[in-house]
Amino acid sequence: MNSSENAPGAASFMDRNYFLLRRLHSLTGIVPIGVFLCVHLLTNSSVLWGAVAERGGHTGGWREGGVAYFTREVVWINEQIPHLLLIEITLWASIIFHSVLGIYYAASGKSNVSRYSYQGNWRYSLQRISGYVGVAFILYHVGTLRWGWTFLVPGGTEWSYQFAASTLAASLRGGNEGFTLAGVVVSLFYMISVGLLVFHFANGLWTAAITWGLTVSDRAQRRWGVVCAGVGAALLLMGWGSVLGYALLDPAKARAVEEDAALPHDKTVIGPDKTWRGNREGEHPLAEPGYPWPGTETAVTKESQEGPLQR
Amino acid sequence: MSTSAHAASHAQRPSRSAKAGRTVRFRILRCDGPGKPSRWETFAVKVEPGANVISCLRQIAANPVTVDGKATTPVVWDAGCLEEVCGACTMVINGKVRQSCSCLIDEYAPDDNNEITLEPMTKFPVVRDLWVDRARMFSDLKRVKGWVPIDGTFFLGAGPRERPKSQATRYVLSTCMTCGCCLEACPQYNIEPDPEAWETSFLGAFAISQARLFNMHQTGKELAGERLDALESPGGLNDCGNAQNCVKVCPKLIPLTESIGAMGRATTIHAIASWFSRG
Ligand code: HEM
Ligand code: SF4
Ligand code: SF4
Ligand code: FES
Repeated sequence: MNSSENAPGAASFMDRNYFLLRRLHSLTGIVPIGVFLCVHLLTNSSVLWGAVAERGGHTGGWREGGVAYFTREVVWINEQIPHLLLIEITLWASIIFHSVLGIYYAASGKSNVSRYSYQGNWRYSLQRISGYVGVAFILYHVGTLRWGWTFLVPGGTEWSYQFAASTLAASLRGGNEGFTLAGVVVSLFYMISVGLLVFHFANGLWTAAITWGLTVSDRAQRRWGVVCAGVGAALLLMGWGSVLGYALLDPAKARAVEEDAALPHDKTVIGPDKTWRGNREGEHPLAEPGYPWPGTETAVTKESQEGPLQR
Repeated sequence: MSTSAHAASHAQRPSRSAKAGRTVRFRILRCDGPGKPSRWETFAVKVEPGANVISCLRQIAANPVTVDGKATTPVVWDAGCLEEVCGACTMVINGKVRQSCSCLIDEYAPDDNNEITLEPMTKFPVVRDLWVDRARMFSDLKRVKGWVPIDGTFFLGAGPRERPKSQATRYVLSTCMTCGCCLEACPQYNIEPDPEAWETSFLGAFAISQARLFNMHQTGKELAGERLDALESPGGLNDCGNAQNCVKVCPKLIPLTESIGAMGRATTIHAIASWFSRG
């Protein structure tokens, strides 16, 4: 069977399920992809606000507290979150589905902002551009930080979840010694892509309400637009704050906090006092036997409270 | 959206007293027939007070000589009512789509030697010069069954009562003149010369709005499910990308994006209901 014989069958699958596929495309943009985006940016931005959270258990400054919180959060996600594989499969299936159909749908339109330069028309075009850039960014982001494509990381840093903040900082800066030119390019790429993807989600939230018929009247669409702009602004603050937060972090200092905040990462639990503790103390590869983990009742010393940064 | 704000969006500059007895240049994209190449020709017209684009095109037809002194064929255009209710004279003027009969020269070209650009709509096949074939729009109206089903072999008696509130909503929807402005400005509506492909190509904002109009009609409701089925099929409602250009250019100020939202809601409910009830 040659491809021309296949083509009508393929087209008719799309045609027979046209409405369902369109609505699933819209739905996947919000659940699970959009929800994940919100959670992801919230976690990432903890480098900025983690110091105020109890879970970090670090008593250093705001930056140390942020790094400590983020480290524990990432270790928790990688080791303890229930059904991580299931979450990942669901997310990937949704992202692939939404992206492939998104590119197909985007190709069906023809931008005309040069003639009709209305704000809504700009958003329509930007929704498609941000989709394309989003695909490239998601591949680069996950490829370099999760699948170990270190050849695409300036400085060749390999990201590790046990040292999430310091290896991320080095990946964004182009190495451990301050910014390189390539590092600036990567950081800018992150800033632009995060901005575009946040726009894509916020504007998608607005259009989805029309698609599903949630907002009908012009005024309802405006009101919902204000809500979506608010969601977008909050996410943008978190997204850009995260990128800047890590890019402006000294990897060596972050590493010291991580080592201090780390726990035997194969057996971490949350204690009744809501701080983190190891139940097999001393088994962390970095730890000396009896190393004083912050938050454990056993060995709270002055040093462990102030953290290694003061050493 | 107020009427005055809308009218202002059409005007190129604020209306002011235009110079009497001035000459205006018309740069026109011409084409001798389907599949023939296009070319630009410029004409100079001495405009009269209150002139509009159609009246100037008439002057050009009476003396089809370009500014270079070259004698040419009269420029062809389409028109009907000359009062912005039939939609036949729609064309692209200075880059934006609108009716040419209601396009006043004083607003567009108040000074001597100002230029106005005229092009045929780009989403429909050109018949000749500024005249396009909008047959696809009527095919789209058939897809959404844009009528009230009352034909039969005997008298059915008076129809159901209409409520004033629904009448008020429907009135503005009923003023659509099938002009095609909303399609010309829509980034999701592409030219399709092949009538075979019309069944599955995007039917555009006007047809979505007409489906809403007839679904709200007490007797038109009879076909509501079939209209929603059409809107759920390929080329239907979901091809809309929510750029909302349609509502900005509609000369009848029809709330097209509200119709899109309303039919989005109706198709959502209809799809779920039929999934649970269809045999
Ligand atoms: C962070 C990842 C993403 C999120 C959170 C997201 C979210 C959304 C949402 C909520 C919508 C609105 C659906 C609607 O109007 O009904 C949407 C639409 C769209 N998305 Fe995404 N999306 C993401 C990634 C992508 C990617 C990678 C592409 C690839 C090109 C893409 C292409 C599109 C297109 C073209 C639309 C418009 C569809 C239409 O109007 O018919 N998106 N997205
Ligand atoms: S809202 Fe939909 S129909 Fe209207 S111009 Fe945009 S894409 Fe076209
Ligand atoms: S909806 Fe408005 S722009 Fe579209 S065809 Fe009808 S009158 Fe013209
Ligand atoms: S001639 Fe009827 S709208 Fe212009």
